[in-house]
Amino acid sequence: MRAAADLRRGPARWALVLPLVIFLGVFFLVPVALMGVFSFRPSLRGGVANWDWDPVLDHYRTIAASESFLPLLGKSVLIALLVGVVATTLAYPVAYFLAFRAGRKAGLLLTILIIPFWVSYLLRIISWKVLLGPTGAINSFLAWLGLIDQPVTILLYSRTAVVITLVYVWLPFVALPIYATMLRIDRRLLEAASNLGAPPATAFRRVTLPLSLPGVAAAFLMVFIPTVGEYVAPLLVGGSQGALYGNIIEIFFGDGINWPLGSALAMVMAVGILALLFVLTRTRPVRRLLDDL
Amino acid sequence: MANRLRGPILVTLILVVVACGGDAATTTAPSSVTTAAAGATTAAGATTAATGTGELSVLEWAFYEVPEMWVEFGEAHPEVTPVFNFGASDPDIFAKYLAGSGEDIVHFYTPYLRFYVDEGLIQPIDTSKLSNWSKVPPLFADSCTIDGTVYCVPWDWGFTSLLYNTDMIPEVTSWEALFDDAYAGHVSTYDCGDCAVNIAGALLGYDPTNLSPEQLEEIKQLYIDQKPNVLFYWADEPTLEAGFTDESIWLAYAWNGAYYRLLNAGLPVAYADPVEGRESWIGQYGISAETENYDLALEFLDGKLGEQTGTNLLVDYAYGHVVPDYFGAVTDENLVTALSLDDPTVLDRTNFTPQISREQLEEYVAMWAEVQASS
Repeated sequence: MRAAADLRRGPARWALVLPLVIFLGVFFLVPVALMGVFSFRPSLRGGVANWDWDPVLDHYRTIAASESFLPLLGKSVLIALLVGVVATTLAYPVAYFLAFRAGRKAGLLLTILIIPFWVSYLLRIISWKVLLGPTGAINSFLAWLGLIDQPVTILLYSRTAVVITLVYVWLPFVALPIYATMLRIDRRLLEAASNLGAPPATAFRRVTLPLSLPGVAAAFLMVFIPTVGEYVAPLLVGGSQGALYGNIIEIFFGDGINWPLGSALAMVMAVGILALLFVLTRTRPVRRLLDDL
Repeated sequence: MANRLRGPILVTLILVVVACGGDAATTTAPSSVTTAAAGATTAAGATTAATGTGELSVLEWAFYEVPEMWVEFGEAHPEVTPVFNFGASDPDIFAKYLAGSGEDIVHFYTPYLRFYVDEGLIQPIDTSKLSNWSKVPPLFADSCTIDGTVYCVPWDWGFTSLLYNTDMIPEVTSWEALFDDAYAGHVSTYDCGDCAVNIAGALLGYDPTNLSPEQLEEIKQLYIDQKPNVLFYWADEPTLEAGFTDESIWLAYAWNGAYYRLLNAGLPVAYADPVEGRESWIGQYGISAETENYDLALEFLDGKLGEQTGTNLLVDYAYGHVVPDYFGAVTDENLVTALSLDDPTVLDRTNFTPQISREQLEEYVAMWAEVQASS
């Protein structure tokens, strides 16, 4: 008991969190801060470690003057919303089934759900190309049925393909937090609802759904935030029309060797998402949900 | 029992998922540019650059580290084992060298030479110490010369032109075909801003080393208008070749290596000889400005110009070598065709990648980013 009490206060508590704080500080906060600083650097000339320069706002002006960068950020946010909503909607019944109907098989089914995730993300996306491509499994099957005589091209190299792929990639990530929240729902509440005459649909609507919404909100944010900056799926299955904002950032860090402009683009996205989340979390329903987490 | 187990099982599974997600994050950065040698990257372990004499380090592209690619040096210096570090693309290699990776020798491609010179990363080449230098035609030697000083040793080269499916498309004679609406949905072009400018420049008669803002704007619009016709922008040759194989791609900006492999696969493909000229890229080796192994590095590069190494590059990897004397060793008809080795004037009709400045590269890449971002 005493040992446990010691852990809750004094130096021991700090010793527990210190490794994580140091890790995040070195590998997250410092790089983000560096990126912020680099976004004001005129250019990368003189090498990465050169600090002999005066800060400029040129890169932010370039972004503001561009006809397509900020509109693409807007589109990326909309696509991330769509992916988040579709993935959450599809995952909810799965999580519900696992939590309330699967019984003893829940563990096994959960394992089956996440088995694809034992394979690298990159490999899974590439495998989608095999499925969705012009001579892929889906097109071949449709042609065999006689439903099409030309391959359906929207399945690959389009924004639709990007959305489909990302929903697939995120699905188990979305299902798990919802499932975890549902497990925490006190079953006696459902019994009480039933005893008081509520039909199952009403019990779900009045008890299960509201109590599971914090998990839904957490799951949605887990998908939404990284999807705004996603660049691998658009690169592999997006084709000429499928680029997202993350792809533009990658161009400047890669081919352009223009880290300052890439940094400015990344900072605009980060600040934009933070602002959006700030506004969202100030709305009453979302704040209540987050308080329940 | 089941309920008591459920919590730990869930936690374990979440940890597994998170671990797999973390792993994914580290494996989701495909190189934007394929390796020059064989169109694929290898995860060769990076090693520390050699600093003392008697050792030699090279910042290289994957597949060029094999002893067949430095035969003469290996024979002359069996006591030296060159240490190879790798980059996946020109920007990657330049960024590493700029950050101080410090290899004695660095392998880059046109138009990056000027960037290395401007940053003071490489030093002039004493060509009087290269026994094979006289075999290098002026065309290639000039690509390494800035204001009368030779800064690199040219080694590998290849063409860029229009590769097309002859069953689907009649003979292609101009870069204009790349922008032809008739092939909408079946076109692919290389995901590269400065390359895009070179092609448009050749087509529109503009000089890529001296573009006005209006001309660059016109080029941007040309590619934005082309976008609906493009199925995908390729970043690696295997992806492009797969497009030709499944017939989703009929026409593409391509290197001769892809042409050679598709010819060998028996596909109905041809490689255009556009009226505006083919484009060509050249691989070049520079020597670090801070090396302690300058003479050894020169010997390594002299060996790169040697007959056995040159022949291996041609025959094993299907890329051009800068010494034409070795072309006779190629007996493979498809390779002769792919490199146009039977056409002595083809190089005269070729637009070699011009030397541009860092500012120009940044402008061209920004233009390309606007094209990608446009809807």
